[in-house]
Amino acid sequence: MADVHLLGVRHHGPGSARSVAEALTVIRPDLVLIEGPTELDGVAPLAADPGMTPPVAALIYAVEQPHLASFYPLASFSPEWVALRWSLATATPVRMMDLPAANSLALHLTPKGPVAAASPEDDGGGSRSLYRPDAIGMLADAAGYSDAERWWEDAVEHRDAGPIERFAALTDAIAEIRAVDDRPDDDPDVVQNAVREAAMRRVIRGAVREGHGRVAVVCGAYHAPALVPADFPPASADNKLLAGLPKVKVAATWVPWTSSRLSLSSGYGAGIASPGWYQHLFEHWQNSSASGADVATSWLVRVAHALRRENLDAPPASLVEAQRMASAVAAIRGRPAPGLAELDDAVQAVLCEGSTVPLTVVHRELTVGHELGRVPDAAPTVPLAADLAAAQRRLRLTPSAVEEVLTLDLRKPNQLARSVLLHRLTLLGVPWGRPVETGRTTGTFKEGWALRWQPEFAVELVDASRYGTTVDSAASACVAERAQSADSLAELSELLGACLLADLPAGISHVVSVLAERAAHQEDVAALLMTIAPLARTCRYGNVRGVDVAEVRRILDATAIRACVGLPTACAGLDDDAAAVMRRAIDSAQTGLTLLPEMPHDDWHQALAAVAGSDRIHGSVAGRATRLLLDAGLVDREALAARLSRRLSIATPGPEAAAWLDGLLSGNAVLLMHDRRLLGLVDEWVSAVQDEVFDDVLPLLRRTFSDFSRPERREIGEQLSSGDSSPNRPAEELDLTRAGPAIRTMARYLGWEAHRD
Amino acid sequence: MTDAPDAAVGILRAHAEDAYASELAALAAADDRPRPPSWRLSPWAVMTYVLGGALPDGTQISPKYLGSARLVEIAVATLATDRALLLLGVPGTAKTWLGEHLAAAISGSSTLVVQGTAGTPEEALRYGWNYARLLAEGPSRSALVAGPVMRAMESGSLVRVEELTRIPSDVQDSLITILSEKTLPIPELNAEVQARKGFNVIATANNRDKGVNDLSSALRRRFNTVILPLPDSLEQEVEIVTTRVRSLGAALELPADLAALHEIRRVVTVMRELRAGRTEDQRTSLKSPSATLSTAEAISVMTNGLSLAAHFGDGTVRAEDVAAGLVGAVVKDPVQDLVVWQEYLETVVRNRPDWMDLYRACRDLETSDRSS
Repeated sequence: MADVHLLGVRHHGPGSARSVAEALTVIRPDLVLIEGPTELDGVAPLAADPGMTPPVAALIYAVEQPHLASFYPLASFSPEWVALRWSLATATPVRMMDLPAANSLALHLTPKGPVAAASPEDDGGGSRSLYRPDAIGMLADAAGYSDAERWWEDAVEHRDAGPIERFAALTDAIAEIRAVDDRPDDDPDVVQNAVREAAMRRVIRGAVREGHGRVAVVCGAYHAPALVPADFPPASADNKLLAGLPKVKVAATWVPWTSSRLSLSSGYGAGIASPGWYQHLFEHWQNSSASGADVATSWLVRVAHALRRENLDAPPASLVEAQRMASAVAAIRGRPAPGLAELDDAVQAVLCEGSTVPLTVVHRELTVGHELGRVPDAAPTVPLAADLAAAQRRLRLTPSAVEEVLTLDLRKPNQLARSVLLHRLTLLGVPWGRPVETGRTTGTFKEGWALRWQPEFAVELVDASRYGTTVDSAASACVAERAQSADSLAELSELLGACLLADLPAGISHVVSVLAERAAHQEDVAALLMTIAPLARTCRYGNVRGVDVAEVRRILDATAIRACVGLPTACAGLDDDAAAVMRRAIDSAQTGLTLLPEMPHDDWHQALAAVAGSDRIHGSVAGRATRLLLDAGLVDREALAARLSRRLSIATPGPEAAAWLDGLLSGNAVLLMHDRRLLGLVDEWVSAVQDEVFDDVLPLLRRTFSDFSRPERREIGEQLSSGDSSPNRPAEELDLTRAGPAIRTMARYLGWEAHRD
Repeated sequence: MTDAPDAAVGILRAHAEDAYASELAALAAADDRPRPPSWRLSPWAVMTYVLGGALPDGTQISPKYLGSARLVEIAVATLATDRALLLLGVPGTAKTWLGEHLAAAISGSSTLVVQGTAGTPEEALRYGWNYARLLAEGPSRSALVAGPVMRAMESGSLVRVEELTRIPSDVQDSLITILSEKTLPIPELNAEVQARKGFNVIATANNRDKGVNDLSSALRRRFNTVILPLPDSLEQEVEIVTTRVRSLGAALELPADLAALHEIRRVVTVMRELRAGRTEDQRTSLKSPSATLSTAEAISVMTNGLSLAAHFGDGTVRAEDVAAGLVGAVVKDPVQDLVVWQEYLETVVRNRPDWMDLYRACRDLETSDRSS
């Protein structure tokens, strides 16, 4: 009879990893079986490649539907990784033994399958969340430990027994836990677990039949009691469970992973909250014979270094106090040794003056960490690349190393899909297409792209594949991450715009929620105004793309009100540059608000009126506000003439008056062409300006007028030179009967008739 | 925070150790865990005393501090390691209250106190002299008047220093030797007092006083700091405010009727939302004003509204009565805070249908301000 050693581990448990390494050297098995879908056998040898650096994730995906995928993240302190590396280094055969992913993914797909019912909260991001009880966590909890790894160290490692006896004792303990599991037999999780364990037993039976003498089985501790060969149920029972399972075609590969993504849930159940701490424990145990230091002490020293890098005091004497404090807190909580929770409390009270802010630095730098994994070039193509290739075929876009220019007509579905794909790739950091001018057209339905495929993009795709398995889901996840780390409102607005172009409703909701948060704390009114237009565009065009417009609208309303409240104060005391920024922001907000005619603009107009009415506000901004109010019909010609005359009166410095005029007139000459009185006032002012001031004013005026088209300028010039610009000339009589048909046609073009009913 | 039972008759306010003598006795009797030197109770029993619970013999221990158990654990652990404890927090977060109860439970006495003020002299932290004796007998131990810190060192008990950051920096620093060397030198007598086991210091400080008399880093390093937060839940805070306003109203003999909890709840909600920078339903983020907006300020707004209602209204507190106080509490900086307040009015208050009266009352206030 073969000797089967069950090494029940805690997934991502550094203590388990260390024990597994020890046990393997003692057992010297001639076959290692690891809990993991059997499809990973093909790519497992890559783990020994020098180009492979954990954290990495084994990825299995359905070839036809790449969004159906499972990630199996492995860190250097994962027992599975340790076992895999040991086997490869010692040339011991190694195999995976879990239920094939071909079955589990297919079960996930069929609505009546047991697995599908087991994971109702699939996050849609492509990863499958399977519930596996953390049996070792339960044992540690029963012993009063906050930190399962510290329990492992005390209860398992410090026992004077060989590693094999330790694992045997552990298996017995877990058997007790499983004995009190009172979930019904048809509980979806129980059903799923039974199928998986049957599959594992089948592999073990096969290994024994092949004549392997010493087999080491590395599996989740929870499964260990079910895999003891002496207690196996009859093979026929297992075969019955496994018969007739649905299948899909799957492929496996490796993708790089990061510490922060280790904390997400994945194929190995819940993620771990503190990968950096585990890494520390694992490294510490590996080197403990050399240094002789305590785990808590070496951790606190690293904390002190991290704090000092942020220019926070962390003197050695305080470390001693922190260490004592952690022990005292552990004692009060009735725990034999301080775990991460106690160390955090001690660091906060002793080193951080009670504040949680420095502690977040510790958490980011150490507790989670910044490890970034790498996979060798030999790793098979990732599903993201496969998905892209499929999309390229579907859209008839062939990657080419020679640049070619493409003009897309967004009214055609196929061309729109091409544009969306290019926008998504740009978001993912794969700039295959570069936007170019579309030439002489003012329509917004044309988009120009210069396409050039560079070989490095393959690497970028592998890198981006940690976000997801399809271009769509990866781009959404990538946008969500970038939104979290964005510094400015402008960046978020830009992301929001990009999401609209790339048709990413999921990304939009992420960006909008971050935007709401940041906008609330934004003091800079100009930045707030700049966010109005992208939000309004999202409201206007988002609903056809399945965005929750009501939520966006709520945020837009709040942002608009905030901007309106702050606008008059923010416009005070601006210099020329700041005024130019503010004027652009006001124009942008106006453009945005115009998109939503149903939104009440009262607050906005009140704010503009406050800006326009104040003589202390920079002329360029005040003039612009006046113009916007005029366009909205809220300032009549009389009032405008009065204001113009006041602003251009002799007491106002020339440049100031010119700036105001620029704000009022720029962009549109119609005002001057059709209101002779205004033209007269401007004309009078220009002629009355003193010679020395005129030199200062001229460039400003020239800029204002040069924006007008040539015919407009000629028209104004003719009116002035005809000398018929006296303010008192009566307006021409209009014959409304004759103008009627033209007006009606115009109204129809503008869509006003549609709103009348 | 909670009601004080069986206080000695005639005393306005009994010390914690007297008010809760029966609970302390029951805990001491039931406590069989190891006690640090000179501690009256084990750390576990101290935790039970502060957080409340039931003893094996059925005695109910009332909770003294309604808040995070984690913070109390850190505080007790600090005192057990002979490091000094600094309780930080904005006014009205039960710093003094917690310190008093910790001293009562650990040393059996909460009476060794130094009240920190801008005028606290070094003698208050060290020792003074009985000048009659000093002149008559010359410097001697009997002419020396021990301060609370010195007495605590001699008896091995806890001493409390209230409002540490109000004390001038040079006086604060006389604590450094006491905390690091655990001795108090008396150069006039060429002697010293060495602290007995069990001696420790609980200091409280207001973290809004930052920069007034900031602790020197040498002194700060000798403290473990615990920051006491403002109340967690709306209900908890409404309860605290109601109790306090009722007792203040009684003391000022205001006839107004507080039956309508509604107004208190609203004021507390406004304060909490502005303080936290988000609405209670977590759906809208807000800017926070420069003011503290602690529970204590909610109490003062309500008391103010109560007196307005009593003297100028019909005795029922309405939105108009609290509006002025509310705006005054929030808007401390006439430019920045006003923007914060207007944003809050327009984005939050205005959108709550049953808050229209408060919105109008606040807007009326603004318009009358402008016209004046």
